[in-house]
Amino acid sequence: MGKKMGKALVVGAGISGIRSALDLAETGYGVTLIEREQHIGGILSQLDDQFPSNHCGMCKMLPLVKRDQSSQFCLRKGLFHENIDILLNTEVIAIDGEPGKFSVSVRKKPTWVDPERCVGCGVCEAVCPVEIPDTFNEGLATRKAIYLPVPHTIPNPYVIDLAACSHCGECEKICPTQAIQLSFEKRKDFRVLVVDDELIVRDSLKEWLDEEGFFVDVAESGSVALEKLSKASFNLMLTDIKMPGMDGVALLKKAKESFPDLCVLMMTAFATVETAVEAMKIGAEDYLMKPFDPERMIAKIVQIYEEIEAGDVRDLEVGAIVFSGGTSYFDPAELKNIYGYRTNSSVITSLELERLLSGTGPTQGRLVRPHDGKTIEKIAWIQCVGSRDVQLNADYCSSVCCMVAIKESMLVIKKSPSPVETTIFYMDMRTFGKTFQRYRDSAEQEHGVRFERARIHSITADTVSGEPIIRYAQTDGSLHNETFDLVVLAVGQRPARGIEELSKLIEAPLNPWGFIQTEPLSPVATDRSGVLAGGSFSGLKDISESMMYASAASLEASRIIHVAGGSLSDESFSEPALQDVSREEPKMLVAVCNCGNKYSEHLDTEALTHQLEQDPCVDKVVFLRQCCTAAGWEELTEIIETSKPNRILIGACHPYLYIRKLRELSHRVHLDAEMMDVVDIMSPTFAYIKNPTNQLSPVSHQLSTLKVGISRLKNMDPLPTTSLPVTRRALVVGGGIAGMHAALAIADHGYPVDLVEQSDRLGGNLLWLHQTIEGVPLEPYLHEIVQAAEKHPLLNIHLQTKITAAFGEVGDFYTTIESGDKTIKTIQHGTVILATGGNEATTSAYGYGTSQAVITQKELESRLVQGDVDLEKLDSVVMIQCVDSRQEPRNYCSRVCCPTSLKHALKLKAENPQLAVYILYRDMMAIGFTESYFTAARKAGVIFIQYNLDNKPRVTIPTESNTPLFITVTDPILARPLEIEADLLVLATGIVPQLPTTLANAFAAETDQDGFFLEAESKWRPVDALKEGVFGCGIALSPRSVPDTIATAGAAAQRALRILAHEKLSAGKIVSSVRHSLCSLCERCIDTCPYNARYLDPDRRKIVVNPAMCQGCGDCATTCPNSASVLQGFTDVQVLDMIDAAIESTWQPGSSIDPVGPKQ
Amino acid sequence: MIKTAKIDVKDQDLLGALREFFKNILGKEDISAILAPWRLPTKKMVMPTLVTDPDQLNGVDPLSPAFPMNSAKLVSRLTRKPSGGNIAAVMRPCEIRAFVELVKLKQARTDELILIGIDCLGALGNRDYLNWSGENGDEATKKFAGQVLSGKTVDMDGIELTQACRSCELPIAEGADINIGFFGVDTSRQILIQALTDKGGRLLEDLDLAAAEEPASRRKEIDRLISERTAFRDNMFAEVGDKIGSIDKLSAYLAGCVNCYNCRVACPVCYCRECVFVTDVFDHEPSQYLRWARKKGAVKMPTDTLLYHITRLAHISTACVGCGQCTNACPNDIPVMPLFRTIAHKTQQAFDYEAGRSLEEKMPLSEFKEDEFTEIVGLNN
Repeated sequence: MGKKMGKALVVGAGISGIRSALDLAETGYGVTLIEREQHIGGILSQLDDQFPSNHCGMCKMLPLVKRDQSSQFCLRKGLFHENIDILLNTEVIAIDGEPGKFSVSVRKKPTWVDPERCVGCGVCEAVCPVEIPDTFNEGLATRKAIYLPVPHTIPNPYVIDLAACSHCGECEKICPTQAIQLSFEKRKDFRVLVVDDELIVRDSLKEWLDEEGFFVDVAESGSVALEKLSKASFNLMLTDIKMPGMDGVALLKKAKESFPDLCVLMMTAFATVETAVEAMKIGAEDYLMKPFDPERMIAKIVQIYEEIEAGDVRDLEVGAIVFSGGTSYFDPAELKNIYGYRTNSSVITSLELERLLSGTGPTQGRLVRPHDGKTIEKIAWIQCVGSRDVQLNADYCSSVCCMVAIKESMLVIKKSPSPVETTIFYMDMRTFGKTFQRYRDSAEQEHGVRFERARIHSITADTVSGEPIIRYAQTDGSLHNETFDLVVLAVGQRPARGIEELSKLIEAPLNPWGFIQTEPLSPVATDRSGVLAGGSFSGLKDISESMMYASAASLEASRIIHVAGGSLSDESFSEPALQDVSREEPKMLVAVCNCGNKYSEHLDTEALTHQLEQDPCVDKVVFLRQCCTAAGWEELTEIIETSKPNRILIGACHPYLYIRKLRELSHRVHLDAEMMDVVDIMSPTFAYIKNPTNQLSPVSHQLSTLKVGISRLKNMDPLPTTSLPVTRRALVVGGGIAGMHAALAIADHGYPVDLVEQSDRLGGNLLWLHQTIEGVPLEPYLHEIVQAAEKHPLLNIHLQTKITAAFGEVGDFYTTIESGDKTIKTIQHGTVILATGGNEATTSAYGYGTSQAVITQKELESRLVQGDVDLEKLDSVVMIQCVDSRQEPRNYCSRVCCPTSLKHALKLKAENPQLAVYILYRDMMAIGFTESYFTAARKAGVIFIQYNLDNKPRVTIPTESNTPLFITVTDPILARPLEIEADLLVLATGIVPQLPTTLANAFAAETDQDGFFLEAESKWRPVDALKEGVFGCGIALSPRSVPDTIATAGAAAQRALRILAHEKLSAGKIVSSVRHSLCSLCERCIDTCPYNARYLDPDRRKIVVNPAMCQGCGDCATTCPNSASVLQGFTDVQVLDMIDAAIESTWQPGSSIDPVGPKQ
Repeated sequence: MIKTAKIDVKDQDLLGALREFFKNILGKEDISAILAPWRLPTKKMVMPTLVTDPDQLNGVDPLSPAFPMNSAKLVSRLTRKPSGGNIAAVMRPCEIRAFVELVKLKQARTDELILIGIDCLGALGNRDYLNWSGENGDEATKKFAGQVLSGKTVDMDGIELTQACRSCELPIAEGADINIGFFGVDTSRQILIQALTDKGGRLLEDLDLAAAEEPASRRKEIDRLISERTAFRDNMFAEVGDKIGSIDKLSAYLAGCVNCYNCRVACPVCYCRECVFVTDVFDHEPSQYLRWARKKGAVKMPTDTLLYHITRLAHISTACVGCGQCTNACPNDIPVMPLFRTIAHKTQQAFDYEAGRSLEEKMPLSEFKEDEFTEIVGLNN
């Protein structure tokens, strides 16, 4: 039986959108993923290497269970999933409806090259006369008007930048597949009316637009314009605002009344910009500034033309929408440009540096100075460019730049052929994440990266050499000039392009910094119910946080669709019955695509047929006309239906394109998709056409490729896919906010949950935490969520209960719990979430425990709530940050302490402005929007004094009570010790985890060196354990705020639901197994398996593979010396036969028709 | 706790002193049996033998230049599962190194085992030994040991130590619990006993031996031996390298191979219960053989001779300890050991690994290292 399938829309196919789409698709929803660019991957398609592995790792997002539904290759190349429709070059233009039933219009812009026909041969690019800066390489290289948007996607069709195109038509003429349809004559049908009282404007606009091929008419006044509009239909009207008689706004109103579909552009001088903006509110599309820059003006009009005329609008019915619009980046050339960006060519942005370091970049990854090729010996990074800058309306920390700069410095050191000096100029080094501090320390101590705390005055150029000179002030105020080869500006993040329009479209407001507004306690919900914000759309996130927020957003989307009853559902296909061919001799159909006979001189059909039919397992060789088209595919299907082969080999171009098609074909002809394969015979053909020298002829390549394909297929053993039943019940350990949130999310989807809490009360840290830094009270929230948990019919709460033992695997765990009265119970469950939280660390530093006047931040919070502190009586409070933190053995930032101290300092100042508050800090970790509280605290008169590890503050505890404490600290600005009298000393001691190793190990989850939950991958799988089915969230992962905790809980619940949503988990077709008769039990396969899919069953003395966890990587098969470990689909017999086929087929046309014939 | 002790040698009877020492061990630390080279009563050959009767220890002869097989696989057979008592195994250093590899491969365990290493005096090939040793085995051993330990050139009627022994730069049993030392020691008067592990230390304690210092001459003598062996070894590597530099040359090197697989059986680290070469993996369709024959005009049968050796190199060269039993086992006198050692030296160097060096070191290919061989996998770009 088919099941109800709800649908969701994900807008933006950066990593966050991909994560959300995959989450929903894996859970069983239908997803439309739209992206306004021509490729998926967002900003990450430009960045090759990520901290901390300094590799990419995006592929780690791909599904692990039911993985055959999806592509399993590099995500930068592309993504296919049965349940995901990807629409590139597409934007949302309207949203109607309500949660569970939205109607969304999206518009796909034309690229002028038919992606179905474009084979990527590139001859068009060669003839294009236009050369403009390449946006993919951040302007460090040039491209043509017809170009590849990114170098690496598959398929990778060319697109045309119509605004840059000179309409010479050369590409259209030369394209061998007729993929380019510029259709300029069609522009004649696009009618433009220019309305202006000045003749010169009318004439010049007419001339420019005529040249562009549009039909242009002119009108000198509003009334003439209205008359012309009524006589003939127009697509676009350009109107001046200030005109005698009827002005432009009045004309707009009148025109819109009669012709609501007419697109209107206002033309305005600087003085009337406000009027133009107002006009947009009553229906104008946009405005053009006078005097005109013809290039920009024409680009705008071409854009409108593309949208109106050539845009393909379609309507989608979806239950929920996730916006994952990402961010954009600050342009340092804007405004004052104090760093001389673009005027000094040795000053580049961090994004440009990423392109310089990339193998697909302008220098193919060779690290040289872009403009003159000089070897880089001395390079500097300047942090916070466009961040933490009130003047730029950026009173926030972009959160990622510090780690990006450290990573880039490490990459530069690694990629430089000769020693290179690296310096990072910074204000605070914000190493707030899990392993960030140690990464920084290793950069500094092991790799020699210089960290210079300084304020940058300016960058000038050496008058002789032109080399950039950074003028900076050290903390003591001393000024220095230093020359570098290259200066990298760590550009901050900005709200996504077009977010204002989008905010209007979805009717959800922006926050003060211009990002989509979300509330601290529902961090992925926008103001519009049913519309979620994923990734960094709502604020600044790094990769792992983007993953968490994306999954949290998909969870809420899923919840909305679920509550709405999965409305708008389609019946999905039931699994078709497949014919059993295991007892039959191989009978193979070889279908070769002739690509519409475009390469007939390179496709020797007769020779291929003769050669291939020599193999007795080949039943038939047929040639198809373009099997990528519907007609070609239909032709193939008909041949299959009549000749009934039990194996099908298709020789075509991009095998990746056929993943979905083969599955559909399998359903139709009832043959297992594993018995079909597609091999690429076209790439070598194209390569030969481009460069015929030193190459085997295309025919030998085609023959060899097809024979290799035949060898693999004919030895394919059609085994049924194994699947494992899922116990559709979850266990959540820990009854704090994270555990409750995750448990409720799962229970709301209809699956029973056991929530185990060791104490006698639900609530965890929220039992003492009073409010967030934003001032949101937590008590009502806690009350609400505890009530919801207690009332939920599917949620079983076990208080005062411990886990005593657990075993099992994804879908089938058995856990024994022991309650306070020693009752023992075993629970069977499919997944487990560890939400065991953490506590404030204890300390003995700075006299804590010896004086009533020394307390921790947690104690201060409680005292403030209970009114235990008489603020009127206090004169001076000192807070010390990083107590025992960010140094071994607790060498990590606890992330919440700086915001907490800011929160408390602001509260103290608010209640008693006379009170002196000092915060002694190492680096203020005021990440994201918390920065604004740092600013507010400084404005409120809180005094911040920076200290270093080698010069910590000293505390003198008085012997008599009621006398103040003395704190001595060296002020780096004054460069001398200060003695501060304090009535109260508040210590920020950081957070320690509360995840017992025995508990983690019971579920085969691991803990890191600090005792936190160890993720499968810190960036891409931040809530998964390496062992599938085990997840972590909240502080168990690492220290984090309440909103972040809620997001991680959502993410963990989503990861669990992706498993619980299925009755059975089907393994992939490519899985490994063991030939026990050959196995010597050396267990090397167990050691080497990266997915923990193998274990030794001690009772049976056998190696066992869990097929759902096995990802078919084949590591075990390569490690096993005598093939006792077998990878289905790549058995020794298959692979050896394939090698033979590849070697045998080195046949040259013209020599002999029989390549294996007698030697000559 | 004593780490270094000595046993006295009476009347220059080295073998007698060793036999007394082994008798002393039996019964200590729950040791119920000793596996040691033992002279078969009816024949002149010395074979690894499991002895429980103290009287039978008079047949033990660890100094004999007989080295008929590498005992690592035998010790593996004795320790795979609990045996109900401790066993002491007297082994040559290369046997111990092979044993360490087998433990890592989960083919053997050390928990009921005490490894007793001996300074290795070297050995002869099996046929050479039988030809040379004569009727009185003990006398032959005395003559051999006397010559080796006197530091004089060993002259055994024109018969030389095996090439494996002459190229062995690891003659001291580093991985043993207890080592019996001869080199640099005045063996006419005493033998050096050293505990190398805690387990060995406890046994040494129990044996109640006189404490001793390691004589300064020992290190010097060992260094001399090693440098001599290393020079021989490097010379061998160079010679072999010349002979196997291409597929054609390698084929010529192995031309005498009849696919008897004796080298695989004799190899202590070829641990598969059933070798892939005796399974159906390389059984091709008859038509396939004909196609190959037609293509080349002639095809040697069986077709997988070269593949067999290359596969074995791929599988075990990182675990090869250079004991030379492969050469010893070859009926057609193919110098298998020099080939394997030459390749093994390179592969082990590549993985910064030395077979048998330590139980803690993970075997190459057993763990995924992201940054391994970046220049080969193309991660450098």
